[in-house]
Amino acid sequence: MNTVFALIKRNVKLFFKDKGMFFTSLITPAILLVLYATFLGNVYRDSFTSNLPEGFVLSESIVDGLVGSQLISSILAVSCVTVAFCSNFLMVQDKANGSINDLRISPVKPAALSMGYYVATLIATLLICFIAAAICLAYVAIVGWYMSVADVLLLFLDILLLVLFGTALSSVVNFFMSSQGQISAVGTIVSAGYGFICGAYMPISSFGDGLRKVISFLPGTYGTSLLRNHAMRGVLAEMQTQGVPAEVITGIRDSLDCNLYFFGNAVGTGAMYAILGVTVAVLVGVYILMNIAKRKEK
Amino acid sequence: MDIIKIDDLYKSYGDVKAVQGISFRVKKGELFAFLGLNGAGKSTTISILCGRLEKDAGRVELNGKDLDENGEDIKRAVGVVFQSCALDKPLSVYDNLKCRAALYGITGEAFEKRLKELSDLFELAPVLKRPVGKLSGGQRRRVDVARALIHEPEILILDEPTTGLDPQTRKSVWGIVETLRKEKGMTVFLTTHYMEEAAEADYVVILDGGKIVAEGTPLQLKNAYTGDFITLYNVAEERVQALGKPYEKLPEGYRVAVADTAEATSLILADPELFTDYEIVKGKMDDVFLAVTGKKLTGGTEK
Repeated sequence: MNTVFALIKRNVKLFFKDKGMFFTSLITPAILLVLYATFLGNVYRDSFTSNLPEGFVLSESIVDGLVGSQLISSILAVSCVTVAFCSNFLMVQDKANGSINDLRISPVKPAALSMGYYVATLIATLLICFIAAAICLAYVAIVGWYMSVADVLLLFLDILLLVLFGTALSSVVNFFMSSQGQISAVGTIVSAGYGFICGAYMPISSFGDGLRKVISFLPGTYGTSLLRNHAMRGVLAEMQTQGVPAEVITGIRDSLDCNLYFFGNAVGTGAMYAILGVTVAVLVGVYILMNIAKRKEK
Repeated sequence: MDIIKIDDLYKSYGDVKAVQGISFRVKKGELFAFLGLNGAGKSTTISILCGRLEKDAGRVELNGKDLDENGEDIKRAVGVVFQSCALDKPLSVYDNLKCRAALYGITGEAFEKRLKELSDLFELAPVLKRPVGKLSGGQRRRVDVARALIHEPEILILDEPTTGLDPQTRKSVWGIVETLRKEKGMTVFLTTHYMEEAAEADYVVILDGGKIVAEGTPLQLKNAYTGDFITLYNVAEERVQALGKPYEKLPEGYRVAVADTAEATSLILADPELFTDYEIVKGKMDDVFLAVTGKKLTGGTEK
């Protein structure tokens, strides 16, 4: 245990010594928030108001609260995974600069070595994503706050799960990388593509039937949906209180991916947690097994 | 007592046969030198020895334990100084040593005690709080050796430890290694392409193309693969030619190659007037290397 702790401490220290990387990772979600609010806010608003019954008028605060909640859930869904890929550079850097040799000649078990990288990346990513979440919540508080304490706590739980998932996924993918160039390329691809396939940039409900079915196999999708559910629950409840018919609310929930369907069957939030939890366990298991299998260089 | 036994070791990288069936022994407490050009198979062998690289075939035994069955025990018995620094350059010397010590289960007071010993030995106190990346080449090398010794290994493996160092730092590193060997009885396994370092070893194995081409003590190798050399000063070249032996012109004299010391003696006795200002020396490790590999060694590359 001491060994894993020593490795985690080393890895975290190395992460925070690279101040450029840390601050870039930290400001990325804030930049995303500004970009989303500037360029996508109106798209989201128009899409939402067009779904309301004709002649029905909602207060600006509710509309802004709904749009804001949708924005922050999208940003957090993307950030948890992309920041994990950015933060999980150390195991590749160690290969590139030869430090891994010094670690491998010591009697460290491969599982301890892999957990050292995993937990250190988890800590760094969680720190950045929790700060990003605080910024996002401050934004929602400004535009229209309808969340309860339970919603906020569940939102943080969702972030924790998604960061666990993002870190595990990046650990498996980066295991095969051996240079800074490769990891930068992977980071760029993930940053550009993940938002689409997890339903953050565009709701999955807006995709074609075939694509929807394919995407329903990707675990990250359910993480996005969990964030949407907990960020928007309060504002949707308030809309219902103000007289929006239940079927309209269901329509909005469907169109914004709060409700997800796996081959036509509704997936509840409990099942979403289970899917993410099992995926994290499987990915971490695979990552450790890969490290054990590659105990020595071939 | 043999502390390292290697039998029929093979390792290939695709079509490249890096190590081709080498076998050798290292005795406890000796300075063992692996001599060869870059690509001769030196680093591959020690990577296998310290449990970092998978071998294709063969048997490696350290301290009577098979590497395949006792990898962890063997790692505890071996300290390695790599060709280039493998420590974390952004972290301080103290943080690096503390982390590496923890990997061997050395923490708390035990670590502080060991750090004090190493710090005294390598004069690390002034640099303990400085990042490794900001140290000079010589300081960094001292930290590398300290890291290799953090767990008090029985065998110290030095993979071309003085490559790229200035002569003064090279001498200082070498002084430390000699002290460890003499005072602690540590076995030192050295890979080098510096002839003068190999000449100081107790036993030398010369590798070429992944195979052992010669081995023995420096004296045995010199006796087996080179003759003696008589250097003559203040004589005319015609008189040297008249000896009928191969010779080489030096800036201030002539270097005559003879088969052995006995032949040198007979030449002197035959023409004592010629030998008024002269010296007889054994062949150098360079001559041994040239004789067994057909290659001259300069800075690790073939000439």
